[in-house]
Amino acid sequence: MSAFWLYVFTLIFFLFDYFILAMGLNIQYGETGILNFAYIGFVAIGAYMTGAVSMPNSVGTGQHYILGLNMPFPFNLLVGGLSAMVVSVLVAFIALRRLRTDYLAMVLISLSLVFYDICNNYVPLFNGADGLYNVPSPLAGVLHLTTNSFTVVFALLTGVISLIMWWIMSRITRSPLGRTLRAIRDDDGVAAALGKSVFRYKLTSMMIGSFFAGIGGGLIIQFNTSFNPSAWLPGETFVVFAVIIVGGVSNNIGLLVGSLLVETMLVHLVAFLPAIPGHPGLILNIAAMMIGALLMVMLWFRPQGIVPEKLRRSPAAVAAATTSTDYAGIDEGVSHE
Amino acid sequence: MSVTQFWLSFGFGLSTASVLAVAAVGLSLQFGVTNYINFAYGDFMALGAFVSYALNNEILHLDIWVAMIGGSLFMGVVAVILNRLLLSPFARRFSKTFYVLIVTFGLSLIMLNLLSAIWGDNVRFYNMKIERVIKVGPMLLTKNQLIVMALSVVLMLGVHTMLKTTRLGKSMRAMSDNSTLAMTSGIDTKRITTITWFLSGTMAGLAGTVLGITEGNLTPAAGELFLFVIFAAVIVGGVGSIYGAMAGAVIIGLATEVSAAFINPAYKLDTAFVILILTLLFRPNGVLARTGKA
Repeated sequence: MSAFWLYVFTLIFFLFDYFILAMGLNIQYGETGILNFAYIGFVAIGAYMTGAVSMPNSVGTGQHYILGLNMPFPFNLLVGGLSAMVVSVLVAFIALRRLRTDYLAMVLISLSLVFYDICNNYVPLFNGADGLYNVPSPLAGVLHLTTNSFTVVFALLTGVISLIMWWIMSRITRSPLGRTLRAIRDDDGVAAALGKSVFRYKLTSMMIGSFFAGIGGGLIIQFNTSFNPSAWLPGETFVVFAVIIVGGVSNNIGLLVGSLLVETMLVHLVAFLPAIPGHPGLILNIAAMMIGALLMVMLWFRPQGIVPEKLRRSPAAVAAATTSTDYAGIDEGVSHE
Repeated sequence: MSVTQFWLSFGFGLSTASVLAVAAVGLSLQFGVTNYINFAYGDFMALGAFVSYALNNEILHLDIWVAMIGGSLFMGVVAVILNRLLLSPFARRFSKTFYVLIVTFGLSLIMLNLLSAIWGDNVRFYNMKIERVIKVGPMLLTKNQLIVMALSVVLMLGVHTMLKTTRLGKSMRAMSDNSTLAMTSGIDTKRITTITWFLSGTMAGLAGTVLGITEGNLTPAAGELFLFVIFAAVIVGGVGSIYGAMAGAVIIGLATEVSAAFINPAYKLDTAFVILILTLLFRPNGVLARTGKA
């Protein structure tokens, strides 16, 4: 297979993986209104845990890490997702109960910086600054895959997983749970007045979003077969925010479009451009600045994103409007941003 | 830990607290007046530090203390421009603070990458004389650390005097309490906001440069990694309170350096986070809290 196709499948992998990550952050930010500036930390937990449980015992590998259980494919990924979820519960109990949006964002960004610092310095946990490497490729042994065919198979597998996650997420957002989350986003005082426990719903939203983050992270470490602190600088959270805001908050198709434009085009396509002679890394710096600028331009001119959130009508309001002559019911049943 | 060791780390703690106090007060001033957190503050510090570096090492070759003033004022002007062109339009247009917070977060990404595009990611050093160590009571401090401490104390007294006695300071406090009421009372809120951003930017630039001086090196990401220590100081002191920020800076500064004598110094800044969590659990409004802000 030519290098070109390998490259295309790498882009496809990141398209679907960031789609999963965007869905996870969207339920927190887009649906519930939690400004989770620590999101990339949950992605990292998922990645490290997936790696650590699927690798052999660390004795003799030249690396230092916890666990080392030789766990096979779908289970290691689930461990990654669930670990991120467990951590999110701890975080929610400390920070989510009484803090206002911006204080919460401050605490969360501090959390991600501290977690970064610990992973970078404390070698016995996840091998410090070197990170985990030589992570086993899932299914490679069973299907007799080479490095090249693994890229293709795993990119397609990620596509299938992202479709399953998409189905799960659209079930959640259409359910009464999803409606309550949006009510909290629009005005948490009103939601509380209607008897909804705002904290419990925010906790649920954090848990679901973090599970998605963990799965997305677990897929990254298995695709790259390595993961280290330089892959998840706290600024990476911003890329996921850019995916959501450019594509369309609270619209899953929008998230896929955002993933294509921001992650695939601006992050990974430019990473393969030849470096400007004498200025290594300059292209990546320019691309990052472009992502920041693009997001500000979008927020100003089209804050709803390329594919805006759909107006959702409650079945009750539609029924009321069609059976009576009073059409006011339709407007009242519509929730818009 | 021996007594000598304690006093040594206590001296370093005072030096860190001085840097932190400047940074935390600069952040709090702007937060009080505009009512949103500037997540690019760490990069404001880094930009100020690197402009000082350029004046000190690349052009003009000024003495580091003169370069520091240049870098700080430059950052103050940049902060005013950023507020006028970017932040205040977003803050006025969208009533939810979400939008402007994300814009400051994005600004931080842009500034960090701009710095690393211009100066690269290598560690840089200011051009300054190697100072001999001075014995102050039981503590050992360098001359630079003493200058930084003096500078910080003078600045804190200056901020205190400004807030309590001048018309500008009173207007800032009024806006911090209730900006609509301040406006209807005839305070030119736009002008006060501009001046606040200038002060906040200048203090960020100053804090960034003195951080570089006391740490002995600077990198584009240094400000961003220091940001959570500032947040810890601000939250521990009580968000929105200037005096809280000063108290928080002393607590966090001393705690991080003294803890370095017990634990691996690589994790000393994480002590700040532990204190932050404890504060959130047991005294969520901070040590010197104003009611109703959190």
